Amino acid sequence: MMLSEDIELIDGMPLLFIKSLNAIVVADMHLGYEGVMAKRGVLIPKINFKKMSETISAAIEKTHAKKLIVDGDIKNEFSKVDEEEFNELYDFIMFCRNAGIEPILIKGNHDNFVERYREPFKLSVYRQQAVIGKYLFFHGEELPELGKATKGIKAMIMGHEHPAIGIIDAIGKHERLKCFLYGKYKNIPLIVIPALNFFAGGTEINMVPRSELLAPIFSKLNLDSMHAIAVGYGSTIDFGTIKELRKLA
Amino acid sequence: MSKGFSDKESLGVLNNDVREWFTGNFKELTMPQSFTFKLVSEHKNILVAAPTGSGKTMSGFVAILSDLFNKASRDELKEGVYCIYVSPLRALNNDIYKNLSKPLEEIYKLSEKNAKSSKVTIAVRTGDTPQKDRQKQLRHPPHILVTTPESLAILITSEKFAENLKMVEYVVIDEIHELANNKRGVHLSLSLERLRSMIGHDFTRIGLGATLYPLDEAAKYLVGCNDDGTSRDCVIIDASWGKKLQVQAISPVKDMIYTPDEKIEQNTYSIINDIIKKNKSTLIFTNTRSGTERVVFNLKKKFGYNEDIAAHHGSLSRESRLEVEELLKAGSLKCAVSSTSLELGIDIGSIDDVIQLGSPKSVTRAVQRIGRAGHKYKSVAKGEIIVLNRDDLVECSIMLDAALKRHLDSFRVPMNALDILSQHIVGMSITKKWDVKEAYSVIRSSYPYSNLSYGDFIATIRYLSGEYVGLESRRVYGKIWYDEKENAFGKRGKMIRPIYMLNLGAIPDEVSVNVFDSKTKKWIGNIEEEFLTRLKPGDIFTLGGRLYRFEYAKGMRCYVSAAVSAAPTIPPWFSEQLPLSYELAIEIGTFRRNFSEAIQKHFKKSSLKLASKMPKELSEMLGSLPIDSNASKAIYGYFVEQLLFAGSVPNDKLMLIEITKDPKSGQNLAIFHSLYGRRINDTLSRVIAIHIGRRLGTDVGIMINDNGFLINTEGILKPSDIEEAITSMVGRDPEPLLKSNIRKTEIMKRRFRHVAARSFMILRNYKGYKLPVGKQQINATLLIKAVESIDKDFPVLKETYREIFEEVMDLPRTKSLLKSIKSGDTKYKIIKTQIPSPFAHSMITFGHADVVLMKERHEYLKYLHKMVIKRINASK
Repeated sequence: MMLSEDIELIDGMPLLFIKSLNAIVVADMHLGYEGVMAKRGVLIPKINFKKMSETISAAIEKTHAKKLIVDGDIKNEFSKVDEEEFNELYDFIMFCRNAGIEPILIKGNHDNFVERYREPFKLSVYRQQAVIGKYLFFHGEELPELGKATKGIKAMIMGHEHPAIGIIDAIGKHERLKCFLYGKYKNIPLIVIPALNFFAGGTEINMVPRSELLAPIFSKLNLDSMHAIAVGYGSTIDFGTIKELRKLA
Repeated sequence: MSKGFSDKESLGVLNNDVREWFTGNFKELTMPQSFTFKLVSEHKNILVAAPTGSGKTMSGFVAILSDLFNKASRDELKEGVYCIYVSPLRALNNDIYKNLSKPLEEIYKLSEKNAKSSKVTIAVRTGDTPQKDRQKQLRHPPHILVTTPESLAILITSEKFAENLKMVEYVVIDEIHELANNKRGVHLSLSLERLRSMIGHDFTRIGLGATLYPLDEAAKYLVGCNDDGTSRDCVIIDASWGKKLQVQAISPVKDMIYTPDEKIEQNTYSIINDIIKKNKSTLIFTNTRSGTERVVFNLKKKFGYNEDIAAHHGSLSRESRLEVEELLKAGSLKCAVSSTSLELGIDIGSIDDVIQLGSPKSVTRAVQRIGRAGHKYKSVAKGEIIVLNRDDLVECSIMLDAALKRHLDSFRVPMNALDILSQHIVGMSITKKWDVKEAYSVIRSSYPYSNLSYGDFIATIRYLSGEYVGLESRRVYGKIWYDEKENAFGKRGKMIRPIYMLNLGAIPDEVSVNVFDSKTKKWIGNIEEEFLTRLKPGDIFTLGGRLYRFEYAKGMRCYVSAAVSAAPTIPPWFSEQLPLSYELAIEIGTFRRNFSEAIQKHFKKSSLKLASKMPKELSEMLGSLPIDSNASKAIYGYFVEQLLFAGSVPNDKLMLIEITKDPKSGQNLAIFHSLYGRRINDTLSRVIAIHIGRRLGTDVGIMINDNGFLINTEGILKPSDIEEAITSMVGRDPEPLLKSNIRKTEIMKRRFRHVAARSFMILRNYKGYKLPVGKQQINATLLIKAVESIDKDFPVLKETYREIFEEVMDLPRTKSLLKSIKSGDTKYKIIKTQIPSPFAHSMITFGHADVVLMKERHEYLKYLHKMVIKRINASK
């Protein structure tokens, strides 16, 4: 579905395509997730990278995008670069080369040390926030800085929150769906992208109170009026406002 | 064997000092002892089933002590373990230690006249044993080692301690009924076979247990298998019926429907009080922890009891439970109230009478509980069941009748559990490098793995070797190496030993969800994880005696607000409820068939009427049941109503399916009167719901009950929908459909996490990092998806399905039921009713039920009943 003339949500995929930038936008990949979990004793199969690269490949095939903007948290650990993370980061860069797509990284709260790879791999890395074309990209753990540099932007795009909605049906079955949030902050359109990470189920925005949310921006805007656009089962559908969805919970 | 040896023969096999000690302390041999002294002295494997207080422990130990003192007198007693005693209860271990230390001391004194005599030693080894005692045991091992299944598994894997086990000649397994039916027991069974293989010789196995059935199966579990797959020899000694039972089902009031709640409650408590007053000591069983608390509270309030009455259940601290046990033993408690915790195990002294409130749901459990009464092995066990409603009444009458006829429910040994197998393969790899074929044969000598397929075995080895991740990650993922060419496996890395020691065991971590006030964020208490999964925002439930409204959950934290003047929407005991057993359900079904046929036969000519006096032949039929006259009349009335209203009584050969409407909520319901036990209903209801859902293209709600299950759909169900759903259901294997349906459920997530932890895929303790249960649970659905994408038959996944289908549900018996429906042996009949028939009433009110006080439910029941009677009268 088209979010605007320039922004497309591809059916069933937790990512955006921006025509004017010829770029796919994703957030919260958390590369190296399984490796980091394994170090804590959770020996889950490694499929996150595989599943994410399949999704990105399919999106490239559909859109012929040339750029891939990762809107924060490309990797998982906070404080250090884990060996497993490094391996997958390397695999990811190789994947982009083979797919003929240029990765552009926006730094998230998990992305200390990513800059270390900027030189050897010739990566574009932005700190905290970046204006690319008519859009402001920021990860979301801090409020965006609006000023001269952001004048005239068409929309702001963030990740960080891993948004999802929870739906309980008439017979008590509980379903959780990843979703985009679409609304306004200081009168500028705001898009929150769900996590691309396979293992991130997401935070059910319509079920938890606002105080439980991570991103500070949600205490500064009208969350109830934001639309939740759910992704799953091969399609992408606008489920209406959070206010309405709270009734479903 | 039916007859024991003479006392002379039995005592003749004993060492002189042991015999002197025994005859000096006991007047005679108990029935089990008349077998065991001689058989154990001949190194025969034996299984003894006998109630507590029958000298069971001594029956196992006397001949072993005799052998040890013989060795001592010949100066052949070396330093090393000769006998291992394993029980599932730590408390029992301490008991045994106390109970054996004294005889050992006394016999030693007698033997001191023999110059060469040396002491026979005993020591306890459990998770609680302090480090310095462990060290001591390592340097100077006791002759008799008292331990738990988990500690034994550690000891046989410990390089140093294994040396001390080389001379083991006897293994005693106590409380075998608490082991043979679960994974803890499976774990122990593999440990024993590993021990046997490690020390290169077999040992005499002595199993001790309470009432259980079938004993053959327990014996197979105890002794394991020969190389050719046949069971090793074992002599079964069944002394479990030494105690006579004197039992009765009691209805607290004449009319179980229109008597006001207050009156029912009042009568129930005064019946209880009369029994307590008549006796020195009374034990009361409720089926739930909350029920236990309430009964204690009410007895104190109503009759002024004080310190002479106490509660005992699993939620209480260990100290307060121990205190109650000690008070009971000392005879200073007038009455103890328990949920299940006092059912088995520890000696609690003499109890005069056992009261059971509500159905204990299985004959074996009823016998075990009531069997706690009676002073001595040979005395009479006296007990009563006070019933709560008419279904309960029929159920308990048949249950007690079956108990008197000695028809017990059967248990099953979990077969081919791949998670426990995983643990042991890791354990084996730590001790040496294994040839795969040799390891396979050791494992197959354990009965729970006697038909393990080679394919599953290899798949488990491959999983453990980390084949599911790339080579570069196997260092972290792999616990063992597996060389396909050499067909051998062994341990990988130094870390695996501590990982094994810290994570082994079959009991899943207790998962409790913390409950907080959503505003103040103050901690309120804990609920079970399973309970949380049932909660919808807005649901009202009780916690610690107060009412709360569920707001939301995040991870393993649950947020609520106080709900002042509301009625609970979720019963507090949901996951605590005991399921009705298959065998008992069939017995009830048979009774329903026989009694309803007798009623119909009698009234063939004259017409059946409400409130008619019960004909003599029918009252004689009920007279053979252990029930009072109130109860007998109530049963008759119940059946007559059902026959008049619905035309048939559902029974073991007839499944009645009622299409109706809940008059209160207006919901469309299909009520399946399916009386085959809860576990079959749990399975069958899902299968039929899937077929109906497919036909109608909608989601289908199910509510499972012991006497049947309800299906609710948005639209009205037509008989033809059900007819066709049944036809397509009985025509094919239900397993694949169930699998794809179960995948998305909470039970799957929960069980998967347990199995993954037992299989060492999720390590609870790792490099000093203790993984909180909440973290284990996060995204179980996605974990399952991830594992599926590797292999649909991944061992961890396969075991999860097996556990659900065979231990939670009952797929094997459901399959036979489907066959029986297909062949017409079991018939079904679909009827339409305006309001639910009498036999459906308790199923409909299920959600409102509680143990002693059942206000809401009772009101509603009255309402339903009035409508039924009105209808019967109107149709005349």
